[in-house]
Amino acid sequence: MHRHAAWFGTAALALATAARADDRVDYNRDVRPILAKNCFACHGPDEGDRKADLRLDVRDEAVKATDDRDPALAPGDPEASVALERIAEEDDTLRMPPRKAGPRLADAEVETLRRWIAQGAEYAEHWALVPPQPPPTPAVSDPSWPRSALDAFILARLDREGMKPSPEADRATLLRRLSLDLRGLPPTLNEVRAFAEDPAPDAYEKAVDRYLADPAFGERWARPWLDLARYADSAGYGSDPLRTIWGYRDWLIDALNTNLPYDRFTVEQIAGDLLPNPTDRQRAATAFHRNTMTNTEGGTDDEEFRVAAIKDRVDVTFQAWMGLTMGCAKCHSHKYDPLSHEEYYGAFAVFNQTADSDLPDESPVMPWITPEVADRQRQLDARLGELKAQAGAIVGPPAPALRDEIAKAEKAKADVPTLPIMVELPPEKRRVTRVLLKGNFLDPGPEVGPMLPKALHPAPEGRPVDRLTLANWLVDRKNPLTARVAANRTWAILFGAGIVETEEDFGTQGEPPSHPELLDRLAVDFMDSGWDVKAMIRRMATSATYRQSARSTPEALEKDPKNRLLSHAPRVRLDAETVRDQALAFAGLLGRKVGGPSVFPVQPDGLWQAAFNGQRTWTTSRGIDRYRRGLYTFWRRTVPYPSMAAFDAPSREICAVKRVRTNTPLQALVTLNDPVYVEAAQGLARRIVREAGSSPEDRARYGLEVCLGRPPRAEEVAPLVALHAAQLERYRGDPAAASAIATDPLGPLPEGMDPADLAAWTAVANVLLNLDAVLTRG
Amino acid sequence: MGLDANLDLNQILRMRLARAESRRQFLRRSQAGLGAIALASLMGRDARAGADAASPAGDGVPIPRRPAKAKNVIYLHMSGGPPQQDLFDYKPLLNKHHMEPCPEELLKGQRFAFIKGRPKMLGTPYKFARRGESGQWMSELLPHTAGVIDEAAVVRSMITTEFNHAPAELFMFTGSPRNGGAAMGSWITYGLGSENQDLPGFVVMISGGTDPTGGKALWSTGFLPSVFQGVQCRTVGDPVLYVGDPKGMTREDRRRTLDAINRLNEIEARDHGDPETLTRISQYELAFRMQASVPDVMDVSREPDSIREEYGAEPGAASFANNCLLARRLVERGVRYVQLFDWGWDCHGTGAGDDIVHQLPKKCKDVDRPIAALVRDLKRRGLLDETIVVWGGEFGRTSMNEARGGSTFLGRDHHPHCFTLWAAGGGIRPGATVGATDELGSSIVEDPVPVHDFQATLLHLLGLDPFTFRYPYQGLQQRLIGVEDGVRIRKELLA
Repeated sequence: MHRHAAWFGTAALALATAARADDRVDYNRDVRPILAKNCFACHGPDEGDRKADLRLDVRDEAVKATDDRDPALAPGDPEASVALERIAEEDDTLRMPPRKAGPRLADAEVETLRRWIAQGAEYAEHWALVPPQPPPTPAVSDPSWPRSALDAFILARLDREGMKPSPEADRATLLRRLSLDLRGLPPTLNEVRAFAEDPAPDAYEKAVDRYLADPAFGERWARPWLDLARYADSAGYGSDPLRTIWGYRDWLIDALNTNLPYDRFTVEQIAGDLLPNPTDRQRAATAFHRNTMTNTEGGTDDEEFRVAAIKDRVDVTFQAWMGLTMGCAKCHSHKYDPLSHEEYYGAFAVFNQTADSDLPDESPVMPWITPEVADRQRQLDARLGELKAQAGAIVGPPAPALRDEIAKAEKAKADVPTLPIMVELPPEKRRVTRVLLKGNFLDPGPEVGPMLPKALHPAPEGRPVDRLTLANWLVDRKNPLTARVAANRTWAILFGAGIVETEEDFGTQGEPPSHPELLDRLAVDFMDSGWDVKAMIRRMATSATYRQSARSTPEALEKDPKNRLLSHAPRVRLDAETVRDQALAFAGLLGRKVGGPSVFPVQPDGLWQAAFNGQRTWTTSRGIDRYRRGLYTFWRRTVPYPSMAAFDAPSREICAVKRVRTNTPLQALVTLNDPVYVEAAQGLARRIVREAGSSPEDRARYGLEVCLGRPPRAEEVAPLVALHAAQLERYRGDPAAASAIATDPLGPLPEGMDPADLAAWTAVANVLLNLDAVLTRG
Repeated sequence: MGLDANLDLNQILRMRLARAESRRQFLRRSQAGLGAIALASLMGRDARAGADAASPAGDGVPIPRRPAKAKNVIYLHMSGGPPQQDLFDYKPLLNKHHMEPCPEELLKGQRFAFIKGRPKMLGTPYKFARRGESGQWMSELLPHTAGVIDEAAVVRSMITTEFNHAPAELFMFTGSPRNGGAAMGSWITYGLGSENQDLPGFVVMISGGTDPTGGKALWSTGFLPSVFQGVQCRTVGDPVLYVGDPKGMTREDRRRTLDAINRLNEIEARDHGDPETLTRISQYELAFRMQASVPDVMDVSREPDSIREEYGAEPGAASFANNCLLARRLVERGVRYVQLFDWGWDCHGTGAGDDIVHQLPKKCKDVDRPIAALVRDLKRRGLLDETIVVWGGEFGRTSMNEARGGSTFLGRDHHPHCFTLWAAGGGIRPGATVGATDELGSSIVEDPVPVHDFQATLLHLLGLDPFTFRYPYQGLQQRLIGVEDGVRIRKELLA
């Protein structure tokens, strides 16, 4: 046990040593993490749980001597500091933190505290609460490497560790990476070949622009935001009835594709309805916060779950935009960050004035008119016009048949998709907000008005503190977090992990940034650009850092196994939706319609049968809807689509800031055996036979080139040719098995295809869809 | 990259695996397999040297281990909330006042899910007797369970904070009434790992035709690494989703395709030096073994007739009896935590399908014999000493007749203030009775056992310190038992 622990500790140790190269103890970097982890729970901002009336998170309090005791911290004098004495206490029953609260501090931690006190016990504000300043671009060892300022920050850090960046990846790898990252789809064979031969010096930049302009861009980048928005097609809780809210997904894809600036993206989702003369689109954007769960289980108290939904809106707003764990303050003041219990309910009051109230009909809703629906409406209008003209032409009452037809057309016209939205209550119906003691809605405390956390910048003046004010406050240039959090999230999507690795927590309990100056530069650039999201993605995707090879060296593995310093590009397992989309794309099956209602692709029988309530049948979609991109798959919270759940898709019951990527046998079972992937293998096999040359070598090479996005090497082709030969022989002797593996479920083979041969190629295609290099973006 | 460099890289990769040997001992016991190694590098936790010595996830979070009494848990959950007054909590006074109006003081300050106005008291239609050497009061509905009740400690004073199904079940199984928490089974496999490398460490099985109201969130891994997710095993269709090869593919065909996958993945590992690729190779091998081991363990026809009869198990049925027998087979093979959900205990009395006269005896008949067989079978095999068996619901039921919409069927509404649960084996004190309710079976008069106390006691028996067993998430040190003080390990339950 000891040996591997030491092994896993190597990297952090190396980095930590470097960070402490200069002798000065830094409060934010060195001290706060120790105090936050071990002390603040009882000696921090939460007045309710504070012990011995001592605060260690505020310097004035910590250095104060009282009648009862010497100061906890005596600046410059570790020996006189009671806190240090208690921490270093040898008697386990007397030491701090108490045994029940946590383990004894490590010697190195005690030493850090001792040096910090000796140096004057200076505090500093938490880095994330200080607005980002544009930092100077650092000097680097190799000025020819950086393509942009952001590369300089990466290289400067590698320089400090004595590490080197990796050479640029080959063109084919770059294009596949770019296509998967920007569109969530693999490059087509034509794109790969054209790009390989494009002599233009800016061929790569042009590819970036092309993919940013592809409608698939909005679909791919909607995915992480849908996780944050806890978007689902059902209302959640026990009954989990189906909910129509896909119009929000349409809005989101469109907002991303049209590059709606992030400040407007923010304001419209939180308070689009409160803008002057809001458009339908702006009102539709507010469906963001109607993705909260509604409890329709019999015997529930609507007010209890309305309150739960408001809390969720507060939590998700601060989580998604500012990386703050505001939820901690709903029962008591935050133990680590400056967010009080009262402030939590101040923010609650901001969200507490909307008309929705946990009702099964999801009211209030608006009609969501897609182009298809608009077409249909026009046709119905025309039809109604005709019918009414007929009725008008008749003297006396119209015939019952005509009357029925008019009624039918009118009913059809009224039947349009709806979208739940936010609507502010009229002034006379405003709710009074009270602090909820321990978060319990049955235990209301003092009344509280709408307000924003005091530790941050003040709200813009000139209007009451409502949702619009809150939204404007989020995108105020003085907000220290919004731009950083957005830049960090974008970075994490392109580089496998955030600069702040705890994307969900920028507070004092989160991880400090690996490259703080880089994060600030990205945040400032983002705001300076007018919150231009595509420009930010472009800046990152065209960097030398992004273009590196993903090949890791033994040295890099030893020194920085998590690749936090980006000495090479990360290899990242594709996310659930992309695993599906890619397989269907290879098979030539993928439906490319953008937007519209959720669809029902093939899933194992009977999963909805077991639902507690509500709809129990999953009727598999027909035609193109069977093969749409993963993000359109019907998302029922209590019965998630199983193959995507296996690849770490969340249930969307709550906001998910990031997906953990696992590597499990259950995933292998999905891509090996799920009929969706068997069908994709059959489609891919037919494509190989149809499109490649006639020799097994040609065909194996072609299949590999399609799936890897690069020409394969002989050693990769050989095992597939051998597999094909073995399977061909076996299936020649077993026509029934051959037919099953080649056609079930995709359907009969086209005229002239040999079942045994196609069966063998299906086995090969099944292999292709399961390769590490195919499931991974390298 | 030249040949020598490749060799160096391979050596490094192999060395990494070799160095992780002791870690792999954990992994051999967990469904995670080598995935957890990769996980360690993905989890983004501070890998403090030495501190992660006991964490199977290798994420650097220390696991506080203590000497353990138990190794496994089989949790039998009666979804909907069984009525304690008709099964374990004998209340002669309630019977005496049957159908009399409910005293006002029982209604004061109460919220009910469905009861409106002033309901009538509802005595039990069932006979009670003292059973076993421990003299436990039990109703005639559970004659077989009565035969093993001496093995159990019966808690008559369970109390919860929730009175709707989904929140109450979430509270029972994740320690929080809201979505987002980690399931108890996930916590326990996270803390202890699993002891079988070919099976998941946390298995869930469902009977009664309907998922529990709390849905899959009840076996969700929440904020814990997702390899600790409960895996639903089924007795109809694929025992684990997608475990069967496609039609037209034999085991030999699968072996050959897998060999080709491995061959190409080895080339990939050599060229890119990503340890994750080696992990994938081993996960595919594990999947291949699971394709054999899961159907094998899930096949009750492999049990002798006498055992199947004892449980009342029939191959191919999605029954509670089958699930009990499977639970034993799983635990026997080293699966750490087996969770059974049986649907149909929500006895409101809105009709014959959910009342205490028709439906309740039917449900009791479904579960009574298998439960007794499970306890006896575990004991015979020496597994009861190390396996905690728990039986219970998510809340109790009212001592009043619900009479929703004037229904003439007898039934009880949801009741969070007291309910009965029992546990046996694995260091639980046999024959113990904990707590007592008032004479009408409506509130606790002695030793309330909050849900978190019960969870703390289970963790304690498994050798996990419930107070310091935690996981950092969203700025809090999350615990199964919640972050608030005041939770206790209940010594009354310990042998």
